[in-house]
Amino acid sequence: MPGPESFVVLEGVTAGYGATPVVQDVSLSVAAGEVVGLVGPNGSGKTSLIRAASRALRPSAGRVMIGGRDPYALSAREAARMVAVVPQDLHPAFSFTALEMVLLGRSPYLSPWGGGGAADWARARDAMAATEVQHLADRPIDELSGGERRRVILSQALAQDAPALLLDEPTTHLDLRHVLDLLGVVRALAERQDKAVLAVLHDLNLASSACDRLVVLHRGRVVAEGEPQDVVTADLLGSVWGVEAEVRPSEATGRPAVLLGPPRGVPAPLGRGAHIIGGAGRGAPLMRRLAERGYDVSAGVLHGTDTDAFVAERLNLVRVTVPPFSSIDQESAAECRALIAAADLLLVCDAPFGPGNVANLDLALEAARGGTRTILLEQIPIDERDFTGGAAAERWRALRDLAAVVRTYEDVMAEVG
Amino acid sequence: MSAASRRYRRLLAALAVALVASALLAVAVGAVWISPVDAARLIAWKLGLSARPPVPHSTEVILFQLRLPRVLLAGVVGAALAASGLVFQGLFRNPLADPAIVGVSSGAALGAVAVIVLGGAGALGGYGVPLAAFVGALLAAFLVFRLARIGPTVHVATLLLAGIAVAAIISAVISLLMSFSGEEVRSIYRWLLGGLQARGWTSLWQVVPLVLLGMAAAALTAHELNVVSLGEERAAQLGVEVDRLKRRAVAVGSLLAAAAVSVAGVIGFVGLMTPHVLRLIVGADHRRLLPAVLLAGPTLLILADLVARVALAPEELPVGAITALLGGPFFLFLLRRERKAAGARA
Repeated sequence: MPGPESFVVLEGVTAGYGATPVVQDVSLSVAAGEVVGLVGPNGSGKTSLIRAASRALRPSAGRVMIGGRDPYALSAREAARMVAVVPQDLHPAFSFTALEMVLLGRSPYLSPWGGGGAADWARARDAMAATEVQHLADRPIDELSGGERRRVILSQALAQDAPALLLDEPTTHLDLRHVLDLLGVVRALAERQDKAVLAVLHDLNLASSACDRLVVLHRGRVVAEGEPQDVVTADLLGSVWGVEAEVRPSEATGRPAVLLGPPRGVPAPLGRGAHIIGGAGRGAPLMRRLAERGYDVSAGVLHGTDTDAFVAERLNLVRVTVPPFSSIDQESAAECRALIAAADLLLVCDAPFGPGNVANLDLALEAARGGTRTILLEQIPIDERDFTGGAAAERWRALRDLAAVVRTYEDVMAEVG
Repeated sequence: MSAASRRYRRLLAALAVALVASALLAVAVGAVWISPVDAARLIAWKLGLSARPPVPHSTEVILFQLRLPRVLLAGVVGAALAASGLVFQGLFRNPLADPAIVGVSSGAALGAVAVIVLGGAGALGGYGVPLAAFVGALLAAFLVFRLARIGPTVHVATLLLAGIAVAAIISAVISLLMSFSGEEVRSIYRWLLGGLQARGWTSLWQVVPLVLLGMAAAALTAHELNVVSLGEERAAQLGVEVDRLKRRAVAVGSLLAAAAVSVAGVIGFVGLMTPHVLRLIVGADHRRLLPAVLLAGPTLLILADLVARVALAPEELPVGAITALLGGPFFLFLLRRERKAAGARA
């Protein structure tokens, strides 16, 4: 919840283009003097969220508050004095000099004719000094290098003198050295000038080392939020980015550092099958990982609108699906039995079980008793997800005696080998 | 003062000198030679600055009834076209845009042709054609703008397409009108080619207020045009109400172009060339470009009109043909330069 010192506040913001929202029910806040990193895979809605916060994409639900005011109720000019945006890159249609570019950042304060006083020039000069581009003042912007141009763009936003700063992937395509310099400038602005900074960052290591807090977006929703050491974990990288990675504290910063696994090629078919019994999205991470490892993955019985059914469809798995909220009928059960029989390995996930899907546990028991190698994922105890009044728990305990029981997705993959 | 602004002031001074010199030259040259000194002294006398110089009465008549109004009109029309071109290039963020793009020129032509064909050319004390042209120009610009609007936003690409479509439809209508007309075809044709001949002082007084209004509005739009050349979203982030700016810029550019077309017909390339060349010298800032453009546009059109008058005297050439002869090759030269620059970058 936003504290009294929160300067940028988004409450339950849903926004998008046309009928489909790109961000859904997102709440976050940034205090003055704080750098918050917005991270997430491509298409997770980061840029849309920045646009919603900067008065460019009006939320269809929820609200945005900057310094206690709704930017959509302000004029563009007033809003531009509250929030400065640093775009990824800018290519002006005409060849302005670097100084002219930075002076354009003073627009929200200038007269209609664009006349500015000595104070505006001084602010522009200060902004150029902060990003060390004074020596480029008279150079045309289209003759500068990428790094120089980005620093000029940052100074343009600084010249705006706004207490909130929103950055949309400011470091893309920059050299390592320029990346660190630029983020250093941004940190200094928050610390010395008390700016509230919200930055979309692509690189998790950078985000982890440069930000006070991170907000992780996935498919338009916030899936994690907090200090980098609490947020950046191998589990998160697996479930949100779909990569296997090692996370350990960096010796230089003490912040979590991400070490990615080797690049993934096209998986070599193993000629082995694995069947997944999931539900409520518990099976989805395994579907992808097993498929990537080269297994012929099948899934079922799934219910129509479940995340697992959606992911199975996306991955084009062989699957048995019944309509949402219906029970598993005889025919579906028979087909699923055939799929399990064809597989070398059965994975039973810790899904919630109710009258609609308890039949899946009967199928699992039947296969385990018949000698099929079975792995049970049990991160959540069965008693918390038994909605059958004991029938599911009884079957689960019977399964435990016949299967390998593991706690995490990583352990499942280790057990699979 | 920085080196850049010293250079800018020198450029403005040079453009002002060129303007005065070309005006005096255009006043002097013709079937009857009037020495620039006599012309200057006559003008000073008319302004009440000195006694009447000892020159023949016929010189006075030629100067004040023929040469001077024509040169001044060329100047005002040149300024209007050049400023209009600057505004449209800024708005479209494209250095090759010009007033014809938003349908202004064809709308004006339709208005004028309709009045000529309907026999109303002499109506309203001779104001019929320019008035109809002015109304036609504004209507066409308004129509194009409305067609290009999707919700509250006017997209630049749809604006260009709507302009092309409306211009095509209007030319078709003009062709139809011309095929129905009899002996008026020749006068329609002359009007379409554009010209400044025998317009007299009335035309001048008619457009001066409109052009002054347009210039003032252009000056107040110049800074926002600078901001919007960073892109529309960026301009909004920097405090510009982009949709309002687009409406205003189209109105200002159309007003200036319509004023020019209503008295001089369709004269191409002044609005394209002037801002483009000056941008190479002055840089991208529309606030600095506008004064330079307002000095250079008149010079260009005054000289082009002079050539049109004297090149094949006593026959007069259409001034639109002269600017096109100058502008066409210039345009190709620019295109070639752009391609070379693109090649060098690649």
